[in-house]
Amino acid sequence: MDQAAILDHQFLIAAYAVTWTIQLGYLAFLGIKWRTQKREEARVQRNPR
Amino acid sequence: MKKAAIGFFVVVTLALMAWGFYQAIYVAPNDAMQGEIFRIFYYHVPSASVAFLFFAVSLIGSIGFLASRRGNPDRAQAFDAWAVAGAEVGVVFCTVVLATGPLWARRAWGIWWTWDARLTTTLILWLIYVSYLLLRRFAAGPQMQTLAAVLGIFGALDVPIVYMSNRWWRTQHPAPVFGGAPGSGMDKSMVGAFLWNMLAWLCWGLLILALRYRVERKSQLIEAEEAQQALEA
Repeated sequence: MDQAAILDHQFLIAAYAVTWTIQLGYLAFLGIKWRTQKREEARVQRNPR
Repeated sequence: MKKAAIGFFVVVTLALMAWGFYQAIYVAPNDAMQGEIFRIFYYHVPSASVAFLFFAVSLIGSIGFLASRRGNPDRAQAFDAWAVAGAEVGVVFCTVVLATGPLWARRAWGIWWTWDARLTTTLILWLIYVSYLLLRRFAAGPQMQTLAAVLGIFGALDVPIVYMSNRWWRTQHPAPVFGGAPGSGMDKSMVGAFLWNMLAWLCWGLLILALRYRVERKSQLIEAEEAQQALEA
């Protein structure tokens, strides 16, 4: 495998890894937000002002 | 029943993602000119297409909000939730495009970035929708949703400009692969991998769009409940 092909492979892996990191990171962010809201919803229903 | 349908859709989406990955890495051949690096195409182009689609969702949500905010406030809130969900998920996909593009460009062109029309208009699109999200996050008061809807509509005007940019101007970015000049298109052996990844990323996008919509609706309902309780206290 020549140097250019190795670099191509590394850049390809980087692009796929970056894509999945962004997508899964956002999914995790939404999951945390969802859980926080569930708690908030329970609090509002439990302790009406 | 609804839970089962959602579970089924999640399973199908995950299977499509795995199949799309397999097609892109192991089935599609190397590009004759670019070699292996061309495989970034199978993530880069579907991400751009899905981003455009979700910015269109945001546009429809924004127009719907402005049209119904006085006559039907409940429906307006639902439209607003679609607008913010479309904008946010669109930004996520646009971020993928702006991250994978330079990685591809570095190997294909020898540079990470150039200020050509396609790249610049895409960056502007991303910046407009990031400013939309910042506005929603930090502005307060009853006018915030209206201002955001107007900004969302202006932002969507950039989408056709991005799409047409490499047709209207000479760009470093390649000419359109599909629907471009005579002779444009892909080799048959690559089309399958591309279409599978389009479908997979579309399903993935719809899944997180629906989740983001639910989160926004729940947030609106909690706020309404708190406001009601404050009035009654």
